[in-house]
Formats: sequence, C-alpha cells, structure tokens
Amino acid sequence: MSEKAEKSIIKIRGLSKTFRGAGGEVQALTDVDLDIREGEIFGIIGLSGAGKSTLVRCINLLERPSAGSVEVDGREMTALTRAELPEARRGIGMIFQGFNLLMQRTAEENIRFPLEIAGVRRSEARARARELLELVGLSERAQAYPAQLSGGQRQRVAIARALAARPRVLLCDEATSALDPTTTQSILELIREINRSMGVTVVVITHEMRVIEQICHRVAIIDRSRICELGTPDEVFIRPQSEAGRRLLYPGGEPPQSAGACGAALRLAFDGEITDKPIIAGMVLATGAPVNILYASTRVIDGRTYGQTVLRLPADGAAERRMLAYLEAEGVTYQLLEEGSFDA
Amino acid sequence: MLKEIFSAEMLRLMGAGLLETLYMTAVSSAAAYAIGLVIGVVLVIGREDGIRPMPRLCRLLGWIVNFVRSAPFLIFVVFVMPVTRFITGTTLGATAMLVPLTLGGAPFIARMVESSLREVDAGVIEAAQSMGAGAWQLVTRVLLPEARPSLISGAAISVTTILSYSALAGFLGGGGLGAIATNYGYYRGNSQIMLVMIVALVLLVQLVQTVGGYLARRADRRIK
Ligand SMILES: Nc1ncnc2c1ncn2[C@@H]1O[C@H](COP(=O)(O)OP(=O)(O)OP(=O)(O)O)[C@@H](O)[C@H]1O
Ligand SMILES: [Mg+2]
Repeated sequence: MSEKAEKSIIKIRGLSKTFRGAGGEVQALTDVDLDIREGEIFGIIGLSGAGKSTLVRCINLLERPSAGSVEVDGREMTALTRAELPEARRGIGMIFQGFNLLMQRTAEENIRFPLEIAGVRRSEARARARELLELVGLSERAQAYPAQLSGGQRQRVAIARALAARPRVLLCDEATSALDPTTTQSILELIREINRSMGVTVVVITHEMRVIEQICHRVAIIDRSRICELGTPDEVFIRPQSEAGRRLLYPGGEPPQSAGACGAALRLAFDGEITDKPIIAGMVLATGAPVNILYASTRVIDGRTYGQTVLRLPADGAAERRMLAYLEAEGVTYQLLEEGSFDA
Repeated sequence: MLKEIFSAEMLRLMGAGLLETLYMTAVSSAAAYAIGLVIGVVLVIGREDGIRPMPRLCRLLGWIVNFVRSAPFLIFVVFVMPVTRFITGTTLGATAMLVPLTLGGAPFIARMVESSLREVDAGVIEAAQSMGAGAWQLVTRVLLPEARPSLISGAAISVTTILSYSALAGFLGGGGLGAIATNYGYYRGNSQIMLVMIVALVLLVQLVQTVGGYLARRADRRIK
C-alpha cells in the first residue's frame, strides 16, 4: 500500500442530496463526510440504491449536491460557475459501467476527445492518444470503432480516454460490473497499475466485495444514503462494526462471534501461482481440525486461482501450528490478521 | 395520344417542370434544414433536464412548431402569402413558393432533428460532460456527430416531404411538376399527364430515399 502523504485530495463535508421526482422525494445522500487521500485507491461499496453513484457523481458535479461541500484538489466544486466547471472537471477522469464511448469515433479519436475539447494541439493530442493506447495494450486497435471491440477492450479505451487530460483523480462507477471474471481481473490490474505508475487517486464504486479486496487501500460502506463504516478492507471485512456492514458482508448470517476463546484470523492470497487445488479442504484433512471461512473472493480462471480467502482457525495452538506448516509446505501466501486468543 | 403527351413541346414543358421542382425542393430543403436544425437542437438542449435549460424559449418554439405542423400545407401557403409577397414581391411561381416551403418544412425538420438527437445515449453525453465539455462542444462534437446516421435518414424523409409539398404548391400557382399536373392533368382532365407526373414524383421520392438510406448506412460506425 502506498500510504505516502496523508493529504486529502477529496474532502466531502455534510454532503446531502435529495431528488425531487414525480413519486415524491428521495434522500440519496445524508450528511456524508469523507476524506480521500492523495494516491490511494478508495472503494465505496453498498447495496443497490444505497447512493453510491450519487456520491461519486457529486464529486465531479454531474449531480449538484443539495447541501454540503465537495473539495477536489483544493477547489470547492460547488462554488464553481458554469464557465469554471468544465476546467475543473478536466482534472477528474471518470469511467462507467456502460463504457459510454462515442460510437461514431475510433478508439484513438475517443481518447483524443478530452484533449480536443481542452484545445490541445492536434499533433500533441495524437501523440498522447498513442501513448495511452500503448498503456492500455490496444495499440493495434487504434483505428477500430467501439462496435468492433469487446467489452473489456471498450473499457480499456474508456480508461485511456479518462486519463488523457492527465487528471489527478479517476472515478470508477461499477467499471467492471458488465464484464466477465477474466476481463474484470485484467481491468482491475490495469487500474492498480495506473494508480501505481501515475499516482492517480482512484475512487472505485462497486457492489462486489472482491473488487474492493483486490485493489482498494481503504473502503467505505454506504447504506441507505449514509456512510456507516470506513477502514482498510481487512478491518471492515473481518470485523464489521455496523449492523449494515454485517448485513452487506454476511448476508447469510452473523460472522462467528469472538466470545471467549477465539482462533486466529488468517488471510490467504491467491495470485494465480496456485493451480486449481483444494487447499483449504486439503489443510482441514491433513490437520484434522475444522476452520471457518469468514470470507472468500477466490475465482478459478484458466485453471489458476485468484483472490483471497479469510479463515478463522480453531482456538487451538497445536492445530494452528499444523495448519500454518501445511500452508507453507503448499507455498500459499498468508497473512495473520488477528492473533488467536486462547490458552496455548 | 401518346404522341400528344410526348410531343416536343410537352417534353420541353415537363423538363422545365422537373428542373423547377428540383430547384424548389433543393433550395427550400436547404433553407428549412438550417432553420429546423437550430430549432431541433434548442428543443433538445433547452428542455428542463437538458444540457442548457431554456424552458421558456423551448415552450415557445414547441408551440410554434406544433402550430405550423398542424395546419394543412395548402392553408399554410395562403396564410403566409403576405410574408411571401413581402420577401419575393409576388405569390406566384417557383421562387415565391420557396417561402412557404421553407417556413412549412422547417418545423417538420425540427421534429426530425429533435428525435434523432434524443436517440443519443445519455451516458455518452454525461461522459463528455465529465471530461469538461461545454454546451456548445456537446452539441457540435457529441450530439450532432453521434446522431449523424439518424440525421441523414431524417434529412432524406424531410426532403421527400418538401418535395410532396412542392407538388401541392402547384395548385396555388407554384411551378414545377405539381403545376403541370394541376394545369394539364386536373383542369384539362388529361389523366395520362397526371399519371406521368405522379410517376415522376414517385421516382424522385424513391431516388431521394435510396440515396439517403445509402448515405446513412455508410455514415454509421456502429455496424460492420
Ligand atoms: N436522477 C434521479 N432522480 C430521482 N431519484 C434518483 C435519481 N438518481 C438516483 N435516484 C435515487 O437515489 C437513490 C440512490 O441512487 P444511486 O444511483 O446513487 O444508487 P447506487 O448505490 O448507485 O445503486 P446501484 O448499485 O443500483 O447503481 C436511489 O433510491 C435512486 O432511486
Ligand atoms: Mg449506481
């Protein structure tokens, strides 16, 4: 995790948004306070209708807040005039679930679009577009129209386009929700790579936990228009503090309560090194002790396992040691999230 | 009989009529398109939830468009005669007919343009806004180019509509094929001339539709 400066690049204070429609009023956001740090990948997760999209759309003022303030890179967005707003928006890239490419323009022309409207010279815009096509791995498809590209390729073009004007923030609204698991994986890797190499702050909206698990440094849970939980994915996913967080993360029921003796919490990370092998079942069989699976986001793609699994080990020192030994022997990367509390 | 229809004199008359029809249709279509395009754009971007809300202007334009569209064209020609006389000095002949054709065609075109622009995906407009496009850039670089295929088919339909208006205008002293059909076919009861004129108009409409359809398909990057 690149926790460089603790400086906030996005500061949201007292943000509320009420929609007035034919069916009455909808309170989409209620008094939201949020700080997003420079250079981090920040996730926002919540159920459908919780207000996730409204929250990101208030950041670049696609939606005008009903109350509160939104400061991006030191600039108060809600105070900008209609003439100033376009300029400020150029510093904030955005990608969407539906890609939203210009269908009558080629991939390269799509990427040039934000530069054209910013008045960048044609030759310069072309060079920048080439550079970005290279970055997203689509150099040979520069002249293809969106209709000729796959979903994943379209999202790559959209990412390149969002980055063309060198924004300091990238907003992603369900950017992988329309993609299959393999493609989702590659898009998430691209986003992480961009965050690392360009230092762009990324805000990711999703309803999928594994998206957060895989790329986010910090996460907020939004429930019925309010932020109800905030922390690192490990903190939030392993011990959700709020009722809403538990409901979102463990829809099947409460996670094991930590009354009295409690085993260690362990995270196993699978990065494709391990082929499709039942590691956990193997461990349980080999050690003769049961485990609780708190959370799993693993996927098998092309016979290789990706993602993470969080386990609660038994409250038994001997069993725990045997399990760790087994994992080490199998070459599984693990991280001890919580020490067990029991008499060893 | 056939000899009579296709006599040298008659052929010359029909040739001149054809040219006049093409002249009226082309000039008034171009003028009506210029006006209709602007109105159509305003009707789309000026809505309450549009990219540059102008609700009052929008309502006024909508009202005018509906008014003209609901008047039968022949009555409209008579209605605008003072304007026609003011601009062209006469109410007879092909050039005079340019005025009602343009004014009558523009509202039709405005509605065609409006419906084409409405087809543009709201998400694409939103994406462009998120990149900092202003209202003018949204119109010239997103709405119009993205709607291009649909605008072209709409334009073909508009031209055929103005073509048929121009034939109607023949009844009221306009020139062209419509005037020949009126004068020879209707008043002198020569049904064969009437038939020839109808065939000529049908062929013209077909031609415009075919060319328009071809251009629209060629302009569309969503297929292939
Ligand atoms: N333009 C709008 N007009 C009226 N109500 C709206 C509008 N946009 C959103 N809402 C309402 O605001 C609430 C929050 O919507 P929002 O789109 O932010 O949810 P979300 O968390 O992004 O959900 P999803 O996961 O389904 O995208 C919902 O109840 C929704 O119906
Ligand atoms: Mg949403």
